Amino acid sequence: MSEFTSAQEVNPLAADPRAARAGGSIFRAQCATCHGADAKGIQSIEAPDLTLMFTRSESTDASVFRVIREGVPGSIMPPHAFPDAEIWMLVSYLRSVAIAGTSAQIDGDPRRGMTLFNLNCSRCHRVDNLGGSLGPDLSTITNRRSQDALTNSIRNPSAVIARRYKPVTLVTEDNGRIQGTVKSEDAFSIQIMDSNQVLRGFRKSSLQEVIHEDISLMPSFTESVLSGEDIDDVLRFLQSAR
Amino acid sequence: MKTTLQSNFCIAVVIWLLPTTTFSQSIEGPSFEDLLAGFSDPNRWLTYSGDYSGTRHSPLTQINPTNVEELRPVWTFQSGTTTRGRGWETTPLLDEGVLYVTGSNNLAWALDARTGRSFWQYRRNLPDDLTYGASAPVNRGFGMLGNQLFMVTLDAHLMSFDRRTGEVLWERELADYQIGYSATMAPLVVGNKVIVGISGGEYQTRGFIDAFDPVSGERIWRFNTIPGPGEPGSETWPNDPQILAQGGGGTWMNGSYDPDLNLIYWGVGNPNPDYYDENRPGDNLYTDSIVALDANTGELRWHYQFTPHDVNDWDSNHMPVLANIEWEGEPRRVVMVGNRNGFFYVLDRVSGEFLLGEPFTATTWAREIGDDGRPIIVNDGSLGCLPDPWGSTNFYPPTFFPGLDLFILTARETCATYVPELPANTRGQSNFGGTVFIDAEQGYGALRALDIHTGNLEWEFTYPSPTFGGVMSTASGLVFAGDHEGNFMAFSAATGENLWHYQTGTRIWGAAAITYMLDGLQYVLIPSGTTLTAFATRMP
Ligand code: HEC
Ligand code: HEC
Repeated sequence: MSEFTSAQEVNPLAADPRAARAGGSIFRAQCATCHGADAKGIQSIEAPDLTLMFTRSESTDASVFRVIREGVPGSIMPPHAFPDAEIWMLVSYLRSVAIAGTSAQIDGDPRRGMTLFNLNCSRCHRVDNLGGSLGPDLSTITNRRSQDALTNSIRNPSAVIARRYKPVTLVTEDNGRIQGTVKSEDAFSIQIMDSNQVLRGFRKSSLQEVIHEDISLMPSFTESVLSGEDIDDVLRFLQSAR
Repeated sequence: MKTTLQSNFCIAVVIWLLPTTTFSQSIEGPSFEDLLAGFSDPNRWLTYSGDYSGTRHSPLTQINPTNVEELRPVWTFQSGTTTRGRGWETTPLLDEGVLYVTGSNNLAWALDARTGRSFWQYRRNLPDDLTYGASAPVNRGFGMLGNQLFMVTLDAHLMSFDRRTGEVLWERELADYQIGYSATMAPLVVGNKVIVGISGGEYQTRGFIDAFDPVSGERIWRFNTIPGPGEPGSETWPNDPQILAQGGGGTWMNGSYDPDLNLIYWGVGNPNPDYYDENRPGDNLYTDSIVALDANTGELRWHYQFTPHDVNDWDSNHMPVLANIEWEGEPRRVVMVGNRNGFFYVLDRVSGEFLLGEPFTATTWAREIGDDGRPIIVNDGSLGCLPDPWGSTNFYPPTFFPGLDLFILTARETCATYVPELPANTRGQSNFGGTVFIDAEQGYGALRALDIHTGNLEWEFTYPSPTFGGVMSTASGLVFAGDHEGNFMAFSAATGENLWHYQTGTRIWGAAAITYMLDGLQYVLIPSGTTLTAFATRMP
């Protein structure tokens, strides 16, 4: 027996259409306060969009079961001592609202896309373990988000800034400025990845100012920098990466 | 048109790259040279024992016997994951103000060493049919090289992470967990190799030590702790390939490393089945031994068996402690082991020559260790008490205090009767082969300081119950240890006098403290239960 108490790897209620509906009721009563009534998450409390979860290769019915049962240590996501069947209903519900990514093949040239990606993006983003870490790993992003949404992210990154990548500027006592993305913060301290991609923790008492920026650390790629065709090539490359 | 686009592009590049032009200077992470430098940079703790010697003796002196009573908790981190039956056994690593910490159930974090707040968290999706991994869901820590972290898993894999993000770079299966294998130790990085051991010695397993390439994740060599038919050592087993193929001999605790000799030193666990021995006559090499292996090839240089033909589950999975000392007037490079069988050993680590073996508990397993290094085994509970299967000490680290020539370890005084029985021998099921009756009334624990030249007890501090806490010392003359009642304590290394204690709220199990400097302040950290607490003599 492991600490994990899920009885099996496969949702026993997967084939039962009543399960997703019942799961939806439980969700609205127990989870919506944090994850939103549409399960799309609430940014201000960092409760993630659960409709995107299943597009990650590591998310399985069983892994989602475990997260619901045990919660996420170190976050406000609580453990839930519901009976197994109710947790499986929640899993069924989350499956039913899961968003498919870009399933159709994007029309573009992956080779050219790779060149453009290496030139413009890879210093901050990883694909298949190569590249920087200031922004999220993009290896499977096309599974999770539509072509339009991704194009918007590239054109106007600051419109929606990804969770755990919020931009911040720290003003040190000697008036130095450190830019980075916020990984964690409390009233007295802040933990960031700085623009050199180094993890750094600060006590706020050692800083003059903590400035939460609205502008993403990712530059906007306007038409004059990357044409629509260029972006399609990049996205086609990302799609072919895995 | 095309040219305009190009020049616009260049301008854009210049503007938005300004804050990022120093990417090339981003921290590369520790190199093998840094690992070799061990404790020389006080702002780091880069490997399980802090350096390769396994002495767990830090040169730091800011916290000293005079001000240690001012120690107070400055932050606490909550893992949120419990460890059924065991404890939080990890040793965090520290570099550039970031702690890299593994948890039970294969959770892991990067934490701000100033505040304990997390940068990232990793959690492995573990299968539901874990075997040994379910009964001991523990992990003892990361190995680190460059920007890579290495961790083993309860389903017997080795994983590599990017330490900046917690993203998985690669993973490799070490062995089939469904047979009974698991992995819990902290990988040892030596040169361009990540060296790992395996758990599950009471299942149908055959132990090994593996070396992997950190970049490609390919296996470079494997040393099998149970010889194959016809191989050297097989003469200490019955001539039966079936028995050899499941002879046990886990390697679930970390090793130490001598860069001059390029040898790694590693403890090997019990033979399988643990108590029932009818079908495994002989010494059963290399179970309950220490092996010295060439780090490049994994070839066996020498071995010494502490407990030949073990019937008490006395794995020899201890941290081998390396020191260069004066031995009977001559300089000697030695390796020291406080063993589960109740004896303290000093061996020459170049040749494996036996130098000393003296009891440090009231063990009645052997009358003495003969001059040839072979124990004169009595194994008789009727004379008093045999140590229980957890042993006279266990894997939790001891410390060596060089100036005082003291080997300081947590001893367990226990009393047990063993009743062997033919086990079922089922795949995926443990195979102890009998029952042990432990007389809990008679048990207690103690922190004991042994003179390494004689094995004599120089001082001790007793605990109410047999204890599983590890030990660390600092050059200022302090020893830090934890007990089964939950106290984290500081002692005078010279006298054993208790100087400070803090009740953590639950037993300290399998872990030993670490210490480091940060912003000019010395920290001491100890995991206990679900908490990792940092102490300092003032609030930072
Ligand atoms: C108090 C707020 C809160 C409540 C109530 C809550 N959650 Fe969460 N949940 C979170 C937060 C915050 C996270 C993100 C944790 C993290 O990764 O740091 C999370 C994470 C998750 C995840 C993991 C998402 C991923 O991408 O892997 C799942 C699944 C989940 N919640 C499901 C549920 C369900 C189902 C319920 C109701 C039974 C629920 N949560 C109730 C706050 C909440
Ligand atoms: C200077 C660093 C940097 C560069 C260069 C950069 N990005 Fe980003 N990117 C980020 C950061 C930081 C985020 C997260 C914050 C945000 O959402 O804006 C991000 C977010 C994204 C996202 C949204 C991811 C999600 O999970 O929703 C996409 C898509 C993306 N980047 C694509 C690109 C592409 C394509 C390029 C190259 C054309 C690029 N980025 C260049 C830093 C960068």
